[in-house]
Amino acid sequence: MSSKITRRSVTAGLAIGALATPGLSIVSGRAQAKSVKMAMIAPLSGPWARQGQLLRQGAEMAIDEINQKGGIEKLGGAKFELVVGDAGDSTEKAKNAAQRLLSDQPDLIGGFGAWLSSFTLAVTEVTERAQLPWLTLSYSDAITNRGFKFIFQTSPTADWQAAETIPTALKLAEAATGKRPKTIGIIQDNTASPVSFGKQLREGGGLDKAGLKAVVDQIFTPPLSDATPLVDRVRSAKPDFLLLLTSAMPDCKLVLEKLDEFKLARGKIPLVGNGAPFGSPELLKTIGPELLEGLLFSVANWPLKGQEEFIESFKKRTGEPFLTQDGLCGYGHTWILKEALERAGAADKLKVAEAIRAMNLTTGPAARSFPGPIKFDDRGRRVDVPMIFAQWQKGIPLSVYPEDRALSKPFWPTVS
Amino acid sequence: MRTRAEANRQRWAILAFCVAILVLSFGVLKSAYYELVLTQVLLWAVLSLAWNLLSGYSGYFSFGHAAFWGLGAYTVALGMMYLDLTPWISIPLCSVVGAAAGALIGYPTFRLRGHYFALAMLAYPLATLYVFQWLGYQELTLPMKREAPLFYMQFTDPRLYVVLALGLLAAALLITLWVENSRFGMSLLAIKQNEPAAEAAGIDTWRWKMLALMLSGAMAAVAGGLYAVVLLVVTPEGVFGMLVSAQALILALFGGVGSLWGPVIGAVVLVPLAEGLNAELGDVLPGIQGVVYGFAIIAIILCAPEGVYWRVLDYLARRRPARQASLAPAAAAPGNIAALPRIPASRGGDLLVLRDIGISFGGLRALDGIDLAVPEGGLYGIIGPNGAGKTTLFNIINGFLAPDRGAITFAGGAITDLRPNQVCRRGVGRTFQVVRAFPRMSVLENVIVGAFAGEADDAAARRMALSALDRVGLSAQGDAIAGGLTTRELRLMELARALASRPRLLLLDETLAGLSHDDLGGILAVIRQLHADGTTVLIIEHTMQAMVRLVDHFTVLDHGRLIASGRPQDVVRDDSVIEAYLGKKWVDRVASTAK
Repeated sequence: MSSKITRRSVTAGLAIGALATPGLSIVSGRAQAKSVKMAMIAPLSGPWARQGQLLRQGAEMAIDEINQKGGIEKLGGAKFELVVGDAGDSTEKAKNAAQRLLSDQPDLIGGFGAWLSSFTLAVTEVTERAQLPWLTLSYSDAITNRGFKFIFQTSPTADWQAAETIPTALKLAEAATGKRPKTIGIIQDNTASPVSFGKQLREGGGLDKAGLKAVVDQIFTPPLSDATPLVDRVRSAKPDFLLLLTSAMPDCKLVLEKLDEFKLARGKIPLVGNGAPFGSPELLKTIGPELLEGLLFSVANWPLKGQEEFIESFKKRTGEPFLTQDGLCGYGHTWILKEALERAGAADKLKVAEAIRAMNLTTGPAARSFPGPIKFDDRGRRVDVPMIFAQWQKGIPLSVYPEDRALSKPFWPTVS
Repeated sequence: MRTRAEANRQRWAILAFCVAILVLSFGVLKSAYYELVLTQVLLWAVLSLAWNLLSGYSGYFSFGHAAFWGLGAYTVALGMMYLDLTPWISIPLCSVVGAAAGALIGYPTFRLRGHYFALAMLAYPLATLYVFQWLGYQELTLPMKREAPLFYMQFTDPRLYVVLALGLLAAALLITLWVENSRFGMSLLAIKQNEPAAEAAGIDTWRWKMLALMLSGAMAAVAGGLYAVVLLVVTPEGVFGMLVSAQALILALFGGVGSLWGPVIGAVVLVPLAEGLNAELGDVLPGIQGVVYGFAIIAIILCAPEGVYWRVLDYLARRRPARQASLAPAAAAPGNIAALPRIPASRGGDLLVLRDIGISFGGLRALDGIDLAVPEGGLYGIIGPNGAGKTTLFNIINGFLAPDRGAITFAGGAITDLRPNQVCRRGVGRTFQVVRAFPRMSVLENVIVGAFAGEADDAAARRMALSALDRVGLSAQGDAIAGGLTTRELRLMELARALASRPRLLLLDETLAGLSHDDLGGILAVIRQLHADGTTVLIIEHTMQAMVRLVDHFTVLDHGRLIASGRPQDVVRDDSVIEAYLGKKWVDRVASTAK
């Protein structure tokens, strides 16, 4: 291999070298002299880019509302500005994005992200050291188990959700049918969040406490190539309901289609899931409304009563068929930071953090965006948060629990 | 193998590189972000150097270096979480973990070669990934130590991470340099270019490959350990994922495979490029950064298929042809040639004895009941038509093939079950029917590889090689690259390589084939001289004419059987020999003319 070097190849090398020089990355909603900056770090490229995009749309919508209403009042009407970092597809990229934002933007007052738990863990290692208040919707318990002072987790943690999902589902079933389910089937993959969920059920005593017997208990490694062996067990064991903990859509699709093929879908065996992916527009597009009808899932945050106006304007603005957890949280987190700024009275991250810690919001756009009050404990977890359940009803996942704020009434699927 | 002066120059280059990085870190870069990226550049460079140590030098491509990297990262993370072990201890410990993993992986995997090896290596990180998922280590974070941050390697000044990573990189560079300049590196290169030839020349290929993988694994694991400290979050996908293995490979391929600086060049260019593209384009045109990165790599592969380093080196070499020429004569300095090692010639006893050797390939009996005894100091020929089993016999003697039955003794000891390099070390040198050179090495280096078997000291091996070249009359071509030699020179070089191991028995496989009449005379003279010096020679030929003049004993093989044995002049009159060569008709004709 002794080809000759050419001028062209040298030029190409130089061009690549020039590209290699890292520069600043600032995407600003609106640049103005006296603006106050907040950060968002989320995956905007790679497999989770869509979720990051939804978060961003929610945040941008909140920013626009805030600025239209006169900006930050206590700061003389200063405009609120969003600075965005791409967490990409790896923890390394997420951490780099955080470090970059903090280096480029020394006057940030707070931020939120980074959607995937492991990204959030990496990002908050940076923000904590910089004493930047950071909000996240990620579920992992580890995020608020590290003794960090500047992290605020608006979602109930994964363990708590695991502990609450089953009892709440049983309550719904009993209310609807008058009978309490006795057996459960579990199909899950072995990624981070289903594993911690499953651990709570099996080793944490979640099943025993609920008086449930697991007649099917299957863990698979994604991607699933064929769901037949899993669903075959469901067919023979006939559990009273099936807990589906899949984190990837193709796997979810395979299981649902196989259930349908075995005549177990469409209410024959009620399905319960956990996590926002179960209510995503993509799931609807891939699987269709018929197979999804009746599927219940617990989730950290979902559109509730009192948000109708926001839901409509979000749909109009983005063209999405319905609002989900991501858009809602991007919106809500931005509003929480705005409220904190008003209470702090200064564009100072330490004072903003202090304001978030002292916060107890029950009204206003921030409080409306989350179930329960905006109030954090010492670890940065919200207190008095109810579990939310949503259910697919005629092609739309609607919140059905808690009753006082739910948009619809739940039904426990039964064979007609 | 570099000369001492070159090695020293490389050491200075490493020092200069370290100083440059320190100046960059402490003097130029002003943000924690750039320091973080710089730290990553250095760590990925170490991983790529680790990959290069195995794959670049030995040619055994690994798609699985993430296995070592990930084990290092998890060693540090788990050590800190569960044993409260400081990275100051656990990172050095990673070298043990990495080396052990290398041994464990190498033991079964080095049975494979080429693509099979590469693909098998791919399996290890993927399998380990699932193991760690199954163990429940999906997301580990290194706990923040507010009490004793320095003790737990948690610095507030990001430049200290640069210093640590730079320390690792300097160590990795020095290790690589040491490998390059010792028989370790030469043996790996020989394995890369022609593994059977290396084995036959006395290189214990298995041992060197294992050592390379263990050393490589240790380096990668240590870098992975520091990576965990820098990133603070360890996930199976993040450290065992395909991207990690690919990173190791891409950086080296880009920068220059099998070179000291290639992986460093790759890391210095590509890591900031990828990060810069991510930062610039990631949120504007999501995904475009991957496309640009891919195009950059494709462009480099098209323009510099062996990597940037080699391209630049070629370019500089062409710019300065004078310097290269001035290097040439040095090797042939007569003072270097040591006195010929005398072989203890105790003529009379049988040196090599074959008893009832048989081997079959499927239904074909390649050799069947061969008995042969070659006395010390003999010059024996084995002849026979094509397909008679001559080369198979050599392959059995030198250990490439294990016979189905029978026994071989050499100098009184059994060698039947020995591997080729062990047979070579006992004193059996061989050449091949089709010359097996190390084409990208110089003639002298080719022969030095052969000399390693008999010399424990690298300098002595070099002297031995010079002497062997002198014996075959190739001293003048010592610095020529083997790939450019004529057939005659190649044959002589291979002969010198066999001689350099100081064999008591030389197996020459059709050394005379394909040579012109003039060349033939020269080689015959060399063989006669070797024989006169006391070396026992066993030579294969199918041209009888040359052999009759050369050898003092003939053994004739046909269809795997020994059909005649004795003095040349008797054997050529043997009916069965004539029949084997010329057919039955000729036997009758010979018989009728004799009457």
